[in-house]
Amino acid sequence: MRKTITVILLIVAVIMPFLAFDILPVIGDPQSAPNTHVSDYYIEHAIEECNSPNMVTAVIVDYRAFDTMFETTVMFLAGLSVVIILANRPKKRIPAHSSLKRVRHSGGRPVFETVNKDVMISVIEPLILIYAIYVLFHGEVSLGGGFQAGALIGMTYLLDVMVVKRDKPIFNLSKTKAAAIAGFGPLIYALTGIVTILGGGLYLEYNKIPLSVHQAELHSIGITAVEIGVTIGVAGTIITILSALMERTSFDDDND
Amino acid sequence: MTENIPVLIILLPLCSALLCLALTAAGKNLGIIFVKISCLASFMLSCIQLQMVVTGGTIHYAIGNYAAPFGIELVIDSLNAVLLVCFSLIGFLTLIFADNFGDRKRPMLVGGACAETALLITGLLGMTSTGDVFNLYVFLEITSLSAYCLISLGGSRGVVSAFRYMLVGTIAATFYLLGIGVLYAVTGTLNMGDMKEILSQGGHDDAMLTAMCFLIPAFGIKMALFPFHGWQPSAYTHAEPGSRPLITGVMGKVPAIAMFRFIYCIYGTDFRFVRIALIILGVFSVAGMLYGSLMAMGQTDLRKVLAYSSVAQMGYISLGFAIGTPIALAGAFLHMIGHAFMKGGLFFCTGAIRYKYGTTDINDFGRIYKQMPLTCGLLTVAALSMIGIPPTAGFFSKWYLALGAAGQQDWIYIAVLVISSLLNAVYFFRLIEKVFIRQSSELKMRWKSEALELPVSVILPIVVCFVAILGIGLFNVRIVDILLMTLEGVGL
Repeated sequence: MRKTITVILLIVAVIMPFLAFDILPVIGDPQSAPNTHVSDYYIEHAIEECNSPNMVTAVIVDYRAFDTMFETTVMFLAGLSVVIILANRPKKRIPAHSSLKRVRHSGGRPVFETVNKDVMISVIEPLILIYAIYVLFHGEVSLGGGFQAGALIGMTYLLDVMVVKRDKPIFNLSKTKAAAIAGFGPLIYALTGIVTILGGGLYLEYNKIPLSVHQAELHSIGITAVEIGVTIGVAGTIITILSALMERTSFDDDND
Repeated sequence: MTENIPVLIILLPLCSALLCLALTAAGKNLGIIFVKISCLASFMLSCIQLQMVVTGGTIHYAIGNYAAPFGIELVIDSLNAVLLVCFSLIGFLTLIFADNFGDRKRPMLVGGACAETALLITGLLGMTSTGDVFNLYVFLEITSLSAYCLISLGGSRGVVSAFRYMLVGTIAATFYLLGIGVLYAVTGTLNMGDMKEILSQGGHDDAMLTAMCFLIPAFGIKMALFPFHGWQPSAYTHAEPGSRPLITGVMGKVPAIAMFRFIYCIYGTDFRFVRIALIILGVFSVAGMLYGSLMAMGQTDLRKVLAYSSVAQMGYISLGFAIGTPIALAGAFLHMIGHAFMKGGLFFCTGAIRYKYGTTDINDFGRIYKQMPLTCGLLTVAALSMIGIPPTAGFFSKWYLALGAAGQQDWIYIAVLVISSLLNAVYFFRLIEKVFIRQSSELKMRWKSEALELPVSVILPIVVCFVAILGIGLFNVRIVDILLMTLEGVGL
C-alpha cells in the first residue's frame, strides 16, 4: 500500500513539471527575460569594467566573485570532510595490499624502472604542468581558469602516485597536510578581498588594490590572484581525497 | 571600515576555518583558539551592526561595488540583524562547548571538526544575510556539507543518519535550484529586490506557482517541517555531541528565514495563489505541531524527545508564516530566536549530563539536580519556556502567534496552539519529575571536581542560555519593535 502511494506520487511529481514547461522561454530566444535584463549589461560592460576579454571569466570572478569564493570553499570542505570522516575512530589499518608489498624483485634494481615511469615523470608530467600554468594565467583571456589548472596539477600528483613505488614516493603529502594546503587556496581568495578593503574599497572591489598601476591592470591582478587561490584549493583537495582514500582506516564502532 | 561590517561577519569564521588545520599542525591548540577568537569578533561585529541597523535603517552592501542586479548584494534589515546576533552567539558558545568532546590525542581530528563547525557558522550567517538567490544556494551547500560531516562524526549510527540526510538534503538542494531556475527564466535576475519588482508587474503567475511548488518542499526538507522531517530525529540524536547545539538550535531556522524571504519578500502578498500556499503551509504546521508532540511523548532518550519536539517547534514557526499578519510574523521570528536558545540550551544540558554521567536516558536522571544545580536550572527554564509559561521567551512568542491568529479569525490555529502546548507540558513535566523528584539512581561520575559541577567551558554556555531565555521573555517588546520595523511592510 505504502509503495503504491509512493509510486503514484512519483508519477504525479514527474508529470507536473512537464506540464509546466510552456512557462519557460524557448531556447535561444533573444527576447526572453534572461537574455534581455542582466546579460545585456554584462555583454556591454564586461570588457571595459573588468579588463577581461573573456566575459565568462568576468562574470565568474569579478561580478559574481563572492559566489566563486564559496564554491572554492565547498571544494576545500569536501576534502576536509573526506579526511575527517575516514579518519574518525580507526581501529587498525587494514593491510589490503600487503600481499602486493611482499613481492621483491632480485637484481637490486628499482621495481618500476620501466618505460612507463621514465616517460611519465620526465616527459608527460612537465608537459601537463606547463599546460596547467598556461591555463591558469591565460584563463582571464581565453577559456579555462583556476578550476581546470588545479585539476591538472592534482592529476600530476595522481600520476606520480600511480607510477612510483609506494614506499619511495617523490612527494609525500599526508592527507591532513594536503587539506591544510587546500585551505590556503580559498584563503588567498578571501585575502584578496581583504586587501581591497584595506585599500579603501568594498569587498573584492579590485580597482582599490593598493598598487600604483593603471585601473584596468588592477582588475587583471585581482583576477589572477583569485585564480591562483582557486588553483591551490582545487589541487589541494584532489590530493587530499586521494591520500585519504589511500590511507583509509576502518570505523566499525559506535560509542554514542 | 564600518561599512564593511556585513561582509566581515561572514569572513571572520570563514578565514579562521581555512587556517585552522595549518595552525593546528603548527601548534596543538592554536587553530581552535584562533577560530574561537574570530567567532567572538564576528559576534561583536554583529552587535555593532544591530545598533547601526536600528538607528540607520536597512544596510545594502554591494560586493565589488557593482550595483544591485549585476553584482551580489548583502541586505541587512532589522530582522537579519537580530538573527545574526543570536546565531553568531550560539555558534561561539558551541565552539567553546565542543572543546570537551574531542579526542585529545588526535589534535588534527579535533582541529578538523572545529573547522567544520566554523564553516557551518559561516554558511548559516551567510544564508541569513544574503540578498541574492543564487548566493543563498552556495551558502546552503556549505551549510549542508558541513552538517553532513558533523552528523557523521557521531559514531556509526551518525554515519547512517548523515547518509540519509545527505540523500534527502541533495533532493532539497536540487528542488531549490529548479525553483530559482524557473524564476530566473521569467525574470532574468537573481537579486531578490530586483526579482520582486519584476514579478510584481504581473503576468508570471504560472511560473511563480511552479517555482513555489519546488521551493516549499526544498525549504521544508531543510527546516524539517512535518511531512518532510524524516531525516531529522535520527540526525539530531546521533550528531557529534560537541556541535549538536548549533545543529539543532540554528540549522533548522535558517531555511525558515529563506522561506519567509521567498513567500513575503519576493512573491509578496499580491501573488494570486498566496492564500492557497499559506493554507497548505498552515496544514503542514498544524499536523507537525501535533505529530511532533505526540511522538516526543513516547521516547525515553532525552535527545530523541528533544529531536521530535523540534518537529513541533518548527511547526510553530511556519504557523506564524501561514497566518501572515505582521504580529504573527513577529511571533514566528521571536519564537525562532527563543527556540534557538531553548533547544540549543537543552542540548547543552544533554551534553553536560552525558559529559558527567555518560547517559542520556531520562529514566536515569533521578535527582541529579543535587549534583548539577546549574544544568538542571537551565533544563527547567528551557522546559517551561517550551511549554509557554511566563515570563520565559516561549510564552511571548506563542502569545503573539495567538494574537495574529485571532486577528485573522483562524480559531483552529489557536486551538491547535493550545493543544500542542499541553502536549509539550506532558513530556516536559515528566522530564522535570525525573530530575527533581524521582528516587536517585546510582550513576557513575565520569568527571569529578570539588569546586565546580562542570568545567567552565560547559558552564558558560549553560549560563548564557539561561540568561537569554529569560532576557528574551522580559525584553520581548523591544525585540518585537525591532522586528516590526521590517515586518510592518511585508505582512498581509
